[in-house]
Amino acid sequence: MSEIPSPIDFRANSRGVPPHIATSVKKATHHLLGTRATVVGYLGDEQWQLLRQAGHELRLHTINHLDAYLAQLEERVTAAGGHVHWARDGAEANRIVLEIAREHGVRRAVKVKSMATEEIGLNHALIDAGIETLETDLGEFIVQLAGAAPSHIIAPAVHMSKEGIAELFRTKLGVDAPAEPKRLTAIARARLRDAFVAADMGISGANFLIAETGTLVLVTNEGNGRMCTTLPPLHVAVVGIDKVVPDLASLHVLLKLLPRSATGQKLTCYTSFITGPSAQCGDGGPQEFHLVLLDNGRTRVLRDPQARETLLCIRCGACLNSCPVYNHVGGHAYGNPYSGPIGAILAPQLLGVQIAGNLPFASSLCGACAEICPVKIPIPEILIHLRRRAMEGDRIEGPVASPVVAAGAAAGAFALSQPLLYEAGSQALRVVQAPLRRGTWLQSLPPPADRWTTVRPMPAFDASFRQWWRTRTVEGRKQTRARRIRIAALLGGAAVTAVAALVTLRSRKGSNSHDIQP
Amino acid sequence: MTVKVQLFITCLGENFFSPVLKDLVGLLERLGVQCEMPEGQTCCGQPFYNSGFQAQATGPARQWLKVFGPTDGYIVAPSGSCAEFVRHRYPEMFPPGTPEHAVAREISERTFEFTEFLTRVLKLTDVGACFPHKVTYHASCHLLRGMGLRDEPKQLLAAVKGLELVPLSEEETCCGFGGIFSVVYPEVSAAMLADKVRNIQASGAEYVVVGEPGCLMNIAGGLQKIGSAVAAVHMIEVLAARGDR
Amino acid sequence: MTSSPDAAREAILADVRAALGRRSGETAPCVPDAARAPARTPGCTDAEIDLLVAEIARLGGQAQRMSAGELPRGLAGLVQREEIRKAVLWETPALRSWDVAGIMTGLGIEIVPAHASKEALAECDLGITGADLALPETGTLVLRTGPARPRAASLLPRVHLALVQPNALRADLATVLEELKEDRHFVFVTGPSRTADIELVVTVGVHGPQVLAAWVVEG
Repeated sequence: MSEIPSPIDFRANSRGVPPHIATSVKKATHHLLGTRATVVGYLGDEQWQLLRQAGHELRLHTINHLDAYLAQLEERVTAAGGHVHWARDGAEANRIVLEIAREHGVRRAVKVKSMATEEIGLNHALIDAGIETLETDLGEFIVQLAGAAPSHIIAPAVHMSKEGIAELFRTKLGVDAPAEPKRLTAIARARLRDAFVAADMGISGANFLIAETGTLVLVTNEGNGRMCTTLPPLHVAVVGIDKVVPDLASLHVLLKLLPRSATGQKLTCYTSFITGPSAQCGDGGPQEFHLVLLDNGRTRVLRDPQARETLLCIRCGACLNSCPVYNHVGGHAYGNPYSGPIGAILAPQLLGVQIAGNLPFASSLCGACAEICPVKIPIPEILIHLRRRAMEGDRIEGPVASPVVAAGAAAGAFALSQPLLYEAGSQALRVVQAPLRRGTWLQSLPPPADRWTTVRPMPAFDASFRQWWRTRTVEGRKQTRARRIRIAALLGGAAVTAVAALVTLRSRKGSNSHDIQP
Repeated sequence: MTVKVQLFITCLGENFFSPVLKDLVGLLERLGVQCEMPEGQTCCGQPFYNSGFQAQATGPARQWLKVFGPTDGYIVAPSGSCAEFVRHRYPEMFPPGTPEHAVAREISERTFEFTEFLTRVLKLTDVGACFPHKVTYHASCHLLRGMGLRDEPKQLLAAVKGLELVPLSEEETCCGFGGIFSVVYPEVSAAMLADKVRNIQASGAEYVVVGEPGCLMNIAGGLQKIGSAVAAVHMIEVLAARGDR
Repeated sequence: MTSSPDAAREAILADVRAALGRRSGETAPCVPDAARAPARTPGCTDAEIDLLVAEIARLGGQAQRMSAGELPRGLAGLVQREEIRKAVLWETPALRSWDVAGIMTGLGIEIVPAHASKEALAECDLGITGADLALPETGTLVLRTGPARPRAASLLPRVHLALVQPNALRADLATVLEELKEDRHFVFVTGPSRTADIELVVTVGVHGPQVLAAWVVEG
């Protein structure tokens, strides 16, 4: 994601999604929602809601005191013999990691799945510099081999069939692989085992950073997370500044929320706690530990109190699973590593609405995400807030709405605040629709209304209620007559104006027709 | 003392669902409620606000407050999203210090969606309806998650004479309307609608009941497109029915 | 943008403070009470041990309870079943008191020293560790690593055997975390490694050990 110069076109991306992607994504999300429901069920709804609230308060408290906790974290990691680096953006982070790698003559690196490293395109930076960088999570390993992007935060290769993966192993690894998950996993295990032992550097992110103790916490299942952070002599972690947790005691809330929400487990197979290098500790782990704290737009998110809660996210992926939009298009349509509801609010803030202004609109505001989020991020509220940033602008960033759309909104809002104009319009539509009407339906309408009718017909305009209401009484009938005269006058005036405008326009050549943005 | 209701007819309700509004009046009057319809009402402004044009939304909102502010009694709408918008957003759009704030606060105490009004204000679940048909229910997102009306619509349907309620698979999944979403990303909206329509067809119901005009427009259109025998009706139409449909 | 490391640090912290509307750094904030957990009331030790065994078994581990006297037979069975030839052992007071090293040597197993290189440890079929703490509620074993207690023992070998004493069991996660505050390196092991990345089919034993055996040894 290091370079995303052109605006993300969600509509074009979503139109290009092959049907089998939607099918496999839905299968994955359905499964994950099921396992989540089971393991949340063990706690009971009342306990779960208390936990969510505790998680929300804890995360909010943390980001509201981020400066204090970051300073404490740095002090503790350093005291434990680790090195702390700060990176304002992705380029700076990549430079730092490259410099560390060069200083240690690193030729081969193994990597644990990390959203932050995908966000900054670390792999590309290292590979371009001649350092072999291997993804080691099975799904990421597969996706890297395929030269593709992950489609789901938790299950990156969920869109690929076992046959496709077997074929991939045949062509890229030169191994004759049966299309059977156990056998394919065994092949990956064998391949990566040698890499783990031979690697010069292990790269990871972190699920949490404990400020009180200077501890990095990794929540994993496969064992590669432990391999990458145990076997190589050098461990480099790139972690967003929003991953801080105040102390070890409060971690228990997040450890209860994250695995249940993400993979439907009480706890994942491995939860690793790493405080600085192993050197003094003597447990055979890395001799050197570097932590790169990444901003890359997070302070920009922090700046806006109405959108700040975006940073509460613990990257569980539950919102993706519950989102009907995500379920139909998968991750790639979002054009950046963060997809689904969290992507729709995080990416426009990290990348700006110039680039990702489409994404807050990629939602029907159904609210399923807010209901499932373990830390109660008010995602629909933030979506609406970011829509305003895109259309009208706010103190963080200016608008990106086209002048046509902005003018249309102004005209529409004006019309809908003038009772007489509004009523005249309602009645006019009943008349004007006549040639297009088929029974009680309008099957096809001219642009831009065809955006509706290409999908399904529109009911015919039928504003007869006011008339019915008014003529229920004698007084009402009298007032109706008077109103009718006023409306006729207004319509007459409008007709004259329209004709005049048409004549004027026709005397000038050419007009642009803009697609409705976003 | 007679209960008085100011009818908040909504822009979608007025332009596409006149029969529903007439049924609303009929049902309320049958329950002994006095109805009034404030003239000059247009649109609450929600489409603009939710599309990102929050400043533009204040125009229609001011008009709405001008019309409903001076009224008394409850304000009732055949739409949860509109009622919620007035209740929740108006006090935000007109914060303390603005001339409209007091009215916005006052109005948010007495604005309700219709089924909410029946069950939570009038404390009624049986309105004497008769609708002897096999029916399935689509849980509109706004009513369900926005307003917490999960059980109430089912309670109302349970009290309707002769009505057989059959389950709808993925009942709580969005139908794909989402206001502006349906025209900004029509392909995704279409895919969501296709799922909903498929589930409705599979339910075996003769009717699908919907509480939101927006969802109703979307689902009715989707059923019409495939020539389905299932008809989409508004909750109010079912509650107003006397068995003669 | 200057390349001085301090410049980035100052810039980021300044941005955070500005975003939060603060002038200078503040003293330690107070973590909200909501984050403090209500403690779980555990059953009696016997029930807790059974719960631990059941949970680990549910996760695909081989869990059982045995007396110290049954340990030699248990180890012999494991060695035969899993075709063990080389093993690495943690050095702990408990493992010493049970003479696990002696038993394994007696079974003809080559013992690789705990401080051996990772290449050597990678050749081991079996890693035997203790478990400093255990959480029956989730089937979790807590391993504090250190000198002669390498991380790799529970990671590289195909089979990981954890020998747990009943006094390691704890009621809940909050209690466990409280006890670990001074420790620098430790790992929670909850069942054998697994993935569902290929078509959501669960495969046990990915990069970490394929077999997790957890024995609660009494006596």
